[in-house]
Amino acid sequence: MNAFFAALWAEALKAFRSRVIGLSVAVVTILPLVDGLFMLILKNPERARQMGLIGAKAQLVAGTADWPSFFYVLVMTGIAGGILFDFLTVWVFGREFSERTAKELLALPTSRGTIVAAKFVLLAVWTQMLALWIFGWGLVIGNAVDIPGGSAHLNLVSFGIFMSVAFLNLLLVPWVAYVASLGRGYLPSMAWIFFTLASAQLLQVMGWGEWYPWAVPVLVGTIAGPQGGSIGVHSVVMILAASAAGLAVTFAWWRSADQSR
Amino acid sequence: MNLAIETFGLSKTYGPVRAVDSVSLRVGRGEIYGFLGLNGAGKTTTIRALLGMIRPSAGTVKVLGQTVGPNGRGPWRSVGHMVERPSAYPELTVRENLEVARRLQGLSDRGAVSRALDRLGLAHDADRRAGALSTGNLQRLGLARALLHEPELLILDEPANGLDPAGVVEIRELLEGLAREKGVTVFMSSHILSEVDRLATRIGIIHQGRLIEELEAEQMEALRSRRLEIQARDLDGAKSALAGAGFAVKAGDNTIILTEARAIAAPDEVAALLVNAGTPPTRLVVKQEDLEAYFLRLTGEKK
Repeated sequence: MNAFFAALWAEALKAFRSRVIGLSVAVVTILPLVDGLFMLILKNPERARQMGLIGAKAQLVAGTADWPSFFYVLVMTGIAGGILFDFLTVWVFGREFSERTAKELLALPTSRGTIVAAKFVLLAVWTQMLALWIFGWGLVIGNAVDIPGGSAHLNLVSFGIFMSVAFLNLLLVPWVAYVASLGRGYLPSMAWIFFTLASAQLLQVMGWGEWYPWAVPVLVGTIAGPQGGSIGVHSVVMILAASAAGLAVTFAWWRSADQSR
Repeated sequence: MNLAIETFGLSKTYGPVRAVDSVSLRVGRGEIYGFLGLNGAGKTTTIRALLGMIRPSAGTVKVLGQTVGPNGRGPWRSVGHMVERPSAYPELTVRENLEVARRLQGLSDRGAVSRALDRLGLAHDADRRAGALSTGNLQRLGLARALLHEPELLILDEPANGLDPAGVVEIRELLEGLAREKGVTVFMSSHILSEVDRLATRIGIIHQGRLIEELEAEQMEALRSRRLEIQARDLDGAKSALAGAGFAVKAGDNTIILTEARAIAAPDEVAALLVNAGTPPTRLVVKQEDLEAYFLRLTGEKK
């Protein structure tokens, strides 16, 4: 256990000393502000017309200026935040190869598995804190814009959906970690992220999204939408299985693969 | 023999390339083992196999009596290492980089970092970001990390790389001191042959993946060819006198070279012969082939 906390401390120090934490907070701070701006525009159609294209786009996406619409946009923001989770994973794992520090982690009393576990725990804490910040900051923005239709029940349900999406996105990061390790750097894992995004879109359009783990967070997000929605057990099983497999191959790779670079 | 490193038939292939081919090493405790080879000879691959970073295609590796297996198993609490060029987390300070290493080594002694900084002359740079370090200081940081936990065995890949001449001497003295005073075993690869020559108690030469020579420093001394070099004002007269006395005379630039054992064993007699012949030598010296020349001769890189 001491070895795990030592590894977690090391991972946290690396993250805090980098600019990546600050950048990630900055990105997720901007997103609810944009959502708030949409609401502000929708509240005042006259101003929306004056703003031309932006006003038209705001109406297209959010519909009406009320709390259900605001939460729906916020959940969609959370889904987009999944890409940020992936980028953070690319950084946490890929940097060890691009900066050639991986070789310093391989022949130590602290096992490779412990170091990999510490990286995943750091990512879990980091990404879920970011998700909490998006939602909390979103509430502040929504209240500041003073949109109607809010209730404690709606807040709770929306929070549940939002954090579910954030957690499902987290479940998919092990594959990004694996590709970053296998590819020994940033680029292959970036390609992987774009592949999963595109394939999720495609399979969802084709009607197979509920069986495709990378499309499941979006399906869960639609529950908060105007048409509502539901998620089947099979989708949850698929994403859990994908996550477990991603963890297994990442740990196995770090334990056994030749580290010849 | 109490061995710090023992490999038996160690081989590693990458597709059709045999990077290391049946290397059997035996490094005794307390030795300073110089591992020589040209670029691509298999030095770093061997070192990575010793540290469990790559899985051998064939053969076994034992370090400090423990088999280095898959899954990163090994006696790493007692081993310090530096593989290829040193690396560090650029956004962390020198001290923080060592602090990370201390914790991952499971070392409870908080003073270890300060001692390592002092030992490698990094105290003044302790709070500098590693990304701003010179190559030489980055090398020192790598060595500090390797020494942090006072290991029994040091496995160092080109430890003198990037260091200035004063730094090279400093590290040589540091390694010598560790071996002499604390019985630390040092396994070091290098292409700076003069460093290996001065430091190593045993030398292994790897060429095209195969260990082609392994010998004690004293044996090395004996194996290196020697020659007697003579200069005289009347070079032709000296040549004739030596040839007349039955020596096989080779001529270099303004120099006569004798390679026969009787000339090398008794340069005084050669000098007397030349004086008696009226062609006294102006310079007479027994020269020994240096490690570089021996290495090149052995690997066939220079005839």
